[in-house]
Amino acid sequence: MLRAKGISRLSYAIMALLAASMVVPFWSVLVTAFSTRFDSFQPGIHLWPVPWSVEGFGTLFSRIDFRLPFANTLIVTAIGTALHVALATLGGFVLSQPGLPGRRLMGGIILLTLTIPSQVILVPQFVLFRQLHLLNTLTALIISDAVSAFSVLLMKTYFEQIPASVLEAARMDGARQVRLVWDFYLPMALPGVMTIAAFQVVSRYNMFTEPLLFITAADKITLQIALKSVVQGKDTVSTSDFIGPNAQMAGVVISILPLLIFYPLMQRYLVRGLTIGGVKG
Amino acid sequence: MRALRTHFVLYLLVAPVLIYFALFVFYPLGMGLWLSFQKAGMMGPQGFVGLLNYQKIFVSGAVWDAAWNTMAIAAGITLFGTLVPIIPAIALAEISPDPLRRALQTTIYTPYLLSWVIIIGVWMNTLSPIGIVNAVLIGLHVITQPITFFASTTWARPLVVGQTVWKDMGFHALIYYAALMSVDPELIEAATMDGAKGWHKIRDLILPHLAPVIGVVFMLTLQGALHTFDSAFLMANGRTAEKVTTLAVYAYQRGVLQFDLGMASAAGVVLLALCLVVAALSRWLLPQGARV
Repeated sequence: MLRAKGISRLSYAIMALLAASMVVPFWSVLVTAFSTRFDSFQPGIHLWPVPWSVEGFGTLFSRIDFRLPFANTLIVTAIGTALHVALATLGGFVLSQPGLPGRRLMGGIILLTLTIPSQVILVPQFVLFRQLHLLNTLTALIISDAVSAFSVLLMKTYFEQIPASVLEAARMDGARQVRLVWDFYLPMALPGVMTIAAFQVVSRYNMFTEPLLFITAADKITLQIALKSVVQGKDTVSTSDFIGPNAQMAGVVISILPLLIFYPLMQRYLVRGLTIGGVKG
Repeated sequence: MRALRTHFVLYLLVAPVLIYFALFVFYPLGMGLWLSFQKAGMMGPQGFVGLLNYQKIFVSGAVWDAAWNTMAIAAGITLFGTLVPIIPAIALAEISPDPLRRALQTTIYTPYLLSWVIIIGVWMNTLSPIGIVNAVLIGLHVITQPITFFASTTWARPLVVGQTVWKDMGFHALIYYAALMSVDPELIEAATMDGAKGWHKIRDLILPHLAPVIGVVFMLTLQGALHTFDSAFLMANGRTAEKVTTLAVYAYQRGVLQFDLGMASAAGVVLLALCLVVAALSRWLLPQGARV
């Protein structure tokens, strides 16, 4: 792009180095995860597990039943994402209606929430959920982040892209409101819906602070919290029971897997939403 | 009243959104402010104590430490997180063919999608005393004893900063890359004709073109960095806690673990004030065109 040979060569070197800083650590995780417990304690550079072993996975599953945390995360991700998308679409649709009295006021109120970092209201939120008797329920996790100003505003811009003349013409032709929604609004909004849904799935799957605060019951914990106790080697009772690096990294591998499957499928939306979000702030 | 009647359905549709914000954002915010003037514990608020919580905060060494940690970590993340990703963005634009460029882009973007628990897990493994980094450093005779990165007061803050910058690298690079796509190729062409060197083109054409976007990324990064929680919380252990306990982590410990809701809320209010002041300051300092 710059038409300069030196910079072009340097660019390849920089990108190779940067990509290596991503690939090597993840490869190293795989190698540790598939090593025997004994081998995973050996210092040095291991490019390949010798011998291959799934001992770590065995230890992991015997120590922690990942199925329940995984199911909890799945429920929160599915319902939470659906709720977030629905509310954002409704909000964006209404705010995009020209000539609606109070539109600017509502937009202002929603924008205002952007200035309030969620970490600042964590403690009062904890008190609120306690008052509502929602501590130790998945409902609390679903309600947290049920909609965000960013998503509403993103949907609003998608709805505003529909030219007023097109809608007017359709109305003249006698199209009913339902028909308008089906034929014009939905197709225009679909990329926005997909973008928000993709990011919600990622953020719900990764949710950490909320379950840390709102959940203490063992049967309600989510995947990330279960993984945290594995990675930090907590609840170790005795030294013989000590969970080895191979089992810790086996946990990391299992937790990355669903996202790695999801990522290529949704990459278009994850990347596009990001540039929209970044440039428009 | 007429507006209400004709637009009834629209108001009904937007109501859940407004109710959500009122109940789960503005109400907790108000409650936080109110609790910060109360003596409040397990049993709920027990009475107005004026500015006592704030007084306690300002004489408490722990809060000053947390505020200092927050600012040191936020400064590091903002500085490096804003500037470093410009390099891969410019580099990406140089890379051809397309599939290779896309593959590299995907690779550096991946950590952005992963949770902090996974990021910490991955680097704990890589930087462990028996890990690959220590092995290489020992092999090159840079060190003789392995460095215990994750149990070191020296490395605690650099690691929080470094991991954050690394995690967000692909995200920020992509924002810059998108902005680079709108550079007029004719300008580059003209500069090449005039015999401009590559570095000069970056300095005189690319960076000025990116300036407004750099401002946007700066604001995004700064706001995110000020309420660092997950990374700091996960990095904190017996050794490192004093260096990485941020205000957000402090508020959590004080409020949720020790149930001193009054003081935790006051710490939250201080954090909010810090965020607002910094936002206002940087808005004022940034050039006009770079304002969000």
